[in-house]
Amino acid sequence: MSDDASAIRERAAAVREAGATLRTATTDERASWLADSADRLLREVASRSAALAESTGLSAPMVSWAARTTLRTVDAQALSRLASQAQQSGSDPIAMLSVILAGNVFTASVRGIVVPLLLGVPVLVKSSSRETLFPAMLRDALHRTDPGLGAGMDLVVFLGGDREREAALVESAEAVAVYGSDQTVASIAARCGDKALIAHGHGVSAAYCGSHALSKARIDRTVAAVSLDVCAYDQRGCLSPQVIYVEAAKDCPALEFAERLAAEGLEPLSQALPRGPLPAAVGAAQAQWRGVAEVEGTLMRGDTFAICVHDQGPIRWSPGYRNVCVVPTNGIGAAFDAMRPFAASLKCLGTDGASRAGVEDELARREAFQAYACNLGQMQAPPLDAPADGRPIWYGLLEA
Amino acid sequence: MTERSAFKRRIEAMIADFEAGKAVDPASRDALIEDLARWQAERIPEYGRMRRRGPWPPALPTDVFRFRRIAAHPEEQDVRVFRSSGTTSADRSVHVYRDLSLYDSAARAAARHMLFPDVEKMRLVVLAPRESEAPDSSLDYMLARFAEWFGTDCSWVWSDGKLDLETMTEALRRAEAHGEAVALLGTSFAFVHAEDGLADRRFTLPPGSRVMQTGGYKGRSREVEPEALLAAIAERYGLPAAFIINEFGATELSSQLFETTLREQIRGARGRRRLWAPPWVRATPVDPDTLEPVRGDAVGILRIDDCANLDSVCCIQTADLTRRLDDGIVVLGRATGATPRGCSLAADEALGAA
Repeated sequence: MSDDASAIRERAAAVREAGATLRTATTDERASWLADSADRLLREVASRSAALAESTGLSAPMVSWAARTTLRTVDAQALSRLASQAQQSGSDPIAMLSVILAGNVFTASVRGIVVPLLLGVPVLVKSSSRETLFPAMLRDALHRTDPGLGAGMDLVVFLGGDREREAALVESAEAVAVYGSDQTVASIAARCGDKALIAHGHGVSAAYCGSHALSKARIDRTVAAVSLDVCAYDQRGCLSPQVIYVEAAKDCPALEFAERLAAEGLEPLSQALPRGPLPAAVGAAQAQWRGVAEVEGTLMRGDTFAICVHDQGPIRWSPGYRNVCVVPTNGIGAAFDAMRPFAASLKCLGTDGASRAGVEDELARREAFQAYACNLGQMQAPPLDAPADGRPIWYGLLEA
Repeated sequence: MTERSAFKRRIEAMIADFEAGKAVDPASRDALIEDLARWQAERIPEYGRMRRRGPWPPALPTDVFRFRRIAAHPEEQDVRVFRSSGTTSADRSVHVYRDLSLYDSAARAAARHMLFPDVEKMRLVVLAPRESEAPDSSLDYMLARFAEWFGTDCSWVWSDGKLDLETMTEALRRAEAHGEAVALLGTSFAFVHAEDGLADRRFTLPPGSRVMQTGGYKGRSREVEPEALLAAIAERYGLPAAFIINEFGATELSSQLFETTLREQIRGARGRRRLWAPPWVRATPVDPDTLEPVRGDAVGILRIDDCANLDSVCCIQTADLTRRLDDGIVVLGRATGATPRGCSLAADEALGAA
């Protein structure tokens, strides 16, 4: 199924028109509808997890986990709080937003759609051609909760790179939000002219485990939290840790941490939240990545995961899909020094609670870093108001 | 006799048997791979660290050749160093040789069988640099040997980094005028450059003329779908599609695979286009998780066990996607290393940044 340019224009016009009705509702009404929609959608996911597994390439348990952890952030209280923060500037919402989704993290559509609607901004969404089911389910949930709310969001599908269709998608909107590769972002930027572009392009994330988190009393929790961060969405997203910096600690040096991560974290999760099927091209990259790590003598592997303990030279980025580097470090400052080469691409830094203040201090102090900090175990479950690419989540949705 | 000499004799005997038209038992090849891999693992620490999984010896990933010198002999015994194309040292695989005689035997036997099965020698036009211009290119080394072994005369029509269209045209017109078949040998991107540069110049090459193209594009020309390039070459040079074949080689290998259509056409057979591996080579699609052979015609990643890799590692894991077809394989393309994570950093970009 693919929408042509005239269909895209028609839908854009209808969505834009629906914005007027959307804005007649109060913020609290919109927050309440959105929270109800999220509840409804979560129930729908439970009955369609097999279809979603097929369309997303994740396992059914992972689909359920992802939907649950994402949709539970959409509660009325959190929505109202977020709206209050956004509306402090006193600016009016823009008339319409176009959103271009990527296919790697299917729930990314939630924040990308819910936040504009909360602020009274109607959205026309181009879903990934690989994954159309979840955005369609979200649209249906909005419609069923409140027709006025539902009319404020519609969905189009076409292959990226189509100049005429992309132009049709962009032309009616005041701003365009793009999730995807740098190539996709550049392509859309070229069509945007003077419209605002809200780019969510390339990025990686990392985790930091300080010595406190490696103590005998806490190591179990740390391993469980890091494992969840690695396994969530099969490590396909930009908030997935590619590298785990582990502070030198007597209780649990990096190598032992990696062993425990494999045996007590990733292995059990490969049963509870199994990895989805491995695409052939990723498999080819995985074989190379793992093979090099094995040659270097640093590979630990299970059936569907691998860890490379890497203590020198630049990071070899894995292809994701639960292939992760563990890097020993002498502390927060040393970890930040090591991350400097990819500081501009770093999106999120997960950290243990005891190290969080130190990590946030470094993030504030070092201008090259735009990432935000969060607790381990929550890297792939950001709260509704978590910043995106160093900016508030409502960036671009209000008149300048 | 040293162990190395004994291995070399076994490999040479296998190639010689093949050249003599004797059947080579796959079981003896597999046994040779097994023995050779064990010997190499004892001498090459990087390979020795790899653990066996499943029925076959471990396969060394091609990426390792970008980071480490992989050899069973000390550096001072190197007689030749081949490097893959690339812009930085981290992009380039390095394969060192202490002896090129096995490489030569393997290349000559396979090309004789698949590319020149019907002629002793013929006129060659080579769309690639001379060996002296690119001494570290295994492809250019191989083409130079082809010129010696199979060429009556040879026109080299790539120099100073570009295709010399006038020399190429002249060589092809001469072949047309003399009614003498010609073999065009070169990289796929060179053939694309020829397509772009020759404009309306077309040729009707004499019967028996043929094309061997190899390699990907690596950003050196616009990319053309293989079927489209095949059709364009057929039309441009007036050749039947069966006489246009791909050679599959890699810096990390000492043997080459060739498409089957030319040999089959000459012998009156009509098989599907696929890559043939010489009998001292085992080419297998493997599962990316288990690294064991896939079943049937499922897509896997290409593992090549090349007995002619005597002084490095014979079991090689490539990043090419492949599947079985009849008695051969088809290569579906090389995984780029870029990830499918829509908003994640591609591996090479990050390495570059670091």
